[in-house]
Amino acid sequence: MLQIDHLYKNYGKFQAVSDLTLHVPKGELFGFVGPNGAGKTTTIRMVCGLMLPAAGSIAINGVDALTHRKAIKRQIGYVPDFFGVYDNLKVKEYMDFYGSMYRMNSGEIARISDDLLELVNLSDKKEVFVDTLSRGMKQRLCVARALIHNPGLLILDEPNSGLDPRARVEMKELLLNLKSMGKTIVISSHILSELAEMCSSIGIMDHGRLVAAGHIDDVMESVFGSNQLIISLDEGQETAVRIANEHAGVKVDSVGEHEIRLSHTMTKQEIARLIGTMIANDVVVTGFHRQEGNLETLFMRVTGGDTVREGGKEYAAESDR
Amino acid sequence: MRLNPIVKKDIKVQARSMRICWGVFAYELILALVFFLAMSMIQQERRYTDGNLYASMVWLYPVLGVTQLVILGVVVPVRTASSISGEKERQTFDIMMTTGMTPFSVIMGKVMTAVVQSMLFVVASMPVMALPFIIGGMSWSYLLWFLLVAVLVSFFTASIGIFCSSFCKRTISAVILSFGFYVVFFLGTLLPFILSALFGMNSSYYSTTGYGVIENMYLFWLLNPAVYLCEFYARIMAGGSVMSELVSLTGTTQVHGPIRYVVTGNRWLILSTLLFLTVSFLLLWLAARRIDPIRKRVEKRGRKKVSDQGD
Repeated sequence: MLQIDHLYKNYGKFQAVSDLTLHVPKGELFGFVGPNGAGKTTTIRMVCGLMLPAAGSIAINGVDALTHRKAIKRQIGYVPDFFGVYDNLKVKEYMDFYGSMYRMNSGEIARISDDLLELVNLSDKKEVFVDTLSRGMKQRLCVARALIHNPGLLILDEPNSGLDPRARVEMKELLLNLKSMGKTIVISSHILSELAEMCSSIGIMDHGRLVAAGHIDDVMESVFGSNQLIISLDEGQETAVRIANEHAGVKVDSVGEHEIRLSHTMTKQEIARLIGTMIANDVVVTGFHRQEGNLETLFMRVTGGDTVREGGKEYAAESDR
Repeated sequence: MRLNPIVKKDIKVQARSMRICWGVFAYELILALVFFLAMSMIQQERRYTDGNLYASMVWLYPVLGVTQLVILGVVVPVRTASSISGEKERQTFDIMMTTGMTPFSVIMGKVMTAVVQSMLFVVASMPVMALPFIIGGMSWSYLLWFLLVAVLVSFFTASIGIFCSSFCKRTISAVILSFGFYVVFFLGTLLPFILSALFGMNSSYYSTTGYGVIENMYLFWLLNPAVYLCEFYARIMAGGSVMSELVSLTGTTQVHGPIRYVVTGNRWLILSTLLFLTVSFLLLWLAARRIDPIRKRVEKRGRKKVSDQGD
């Protein structure tokens, strides 16, 4: 759906985006994360045709976004990190205005905007002035506005910033709903826990470079290598280490006074069998827990260091040339 | 015909605000004051000359007309100076640029909004403007001519305002720049004539070749709005031509060059109108290029530079 190749953008001497290569397949909910100034918004603005890249190419459904702007505009719905609403305009008129900007006829606009307002749960607010809506409602209206021309690709830049928890949950539900409808969604956000719940794949940017991209599980594995298992025990340390070393896919990282730390690629059942074997061999296991990487730790690790990873088959992240 | 969505939206939004009501009120108030002042002068003049009051009422036509055009000339750039910068301040500009509208259609929408608003003011003044036609006995066709000139003035001044709005980040800078343009059109167009007179360039009256440099400097006045209005009212009120009279002062029969043809008949007005429209469209085209996010020359230069580096 979205193919970005070797994209560059500089503001004077500052390199905002550097050699960004990314592919987002159709129907994906792609999370774009990175610290402030990483180049996420710049990338999004270039994809939306609001900024000219210094070099590189952007294609949507195989159509070059820089040379076929008119065709591309119909395929993109853009929700910026601000509401962008007019005073003295009602919700229905707001939708009419943007619908007519895509040269849609009034009947078509009325039908689609009714459906969209129902989708974003604003059907009862049709005759309400936009500036009187709450922040959450305004954001949902912006999503409805971005969908008025039925684009295949929806791009949201920090849609949850400034929203209360309830509005965030509603927004998450809305985006998952849109994903189930087959829309491709690219969402940039700082709220990593929400992205982890919503997104099937992510791209992490830092200093203008894409440092990791792919399906979340693939990226986790590529960054953390394997999961960690911590086993607490009272007696039988040596036996426990021996059993662990004998088990395929397990590496003992450290042995403490009352715990051992293992790196592993085991399934839950295999972990249960390993613990069972230890108990059967008189190891007094007082407890154990899996320490899995989450998006926060992943983010901290890749943006704190210089890790450059490639994710699954669908994605390619190249930072060094 | 499909109405530009920006015109539809802007008119709706502005019609709901009190600003437009106060604007019309102030406009009518100024016109009423000018009307009473003009009426008292006409009355006074009649006392001394024993002229016909009703016949003198025709002079309300140029007085009220010029007053309206001057107000439009001041108000329209001020209002349009915020048309692009206002969208940017409201943060709706980026969204607009991602829709199906081209930068030129966005700019045209803003211009048409300004023209429609101006017409609202002009139409609201019709009861006052009608007096010279009802009582003074002027032809109603002159009212149509006035409306056309008002449209032209609104279009021209709105083009200046929008051009400045697209180039300036702040609305106040755009307003100041707009009035800077006025200085160029009102005074700058006089400069070639003044300079050629000061430096003693030949007039056809004294020239052996018969080609007058000074007289042909009048051609720059084709872009002078004040000269345009003088010519318009001279033709309507007296059926004459100010420019033709002016050229004849330096010897009509001896004048050569393009000026000789331009001052004949209605040509001055027609040519001047076409020039104002051309300049307006040029300004709008430049404004559209300016707001186009991916057509900035600076960006292209940067693109080439980095591409070279990449290579």
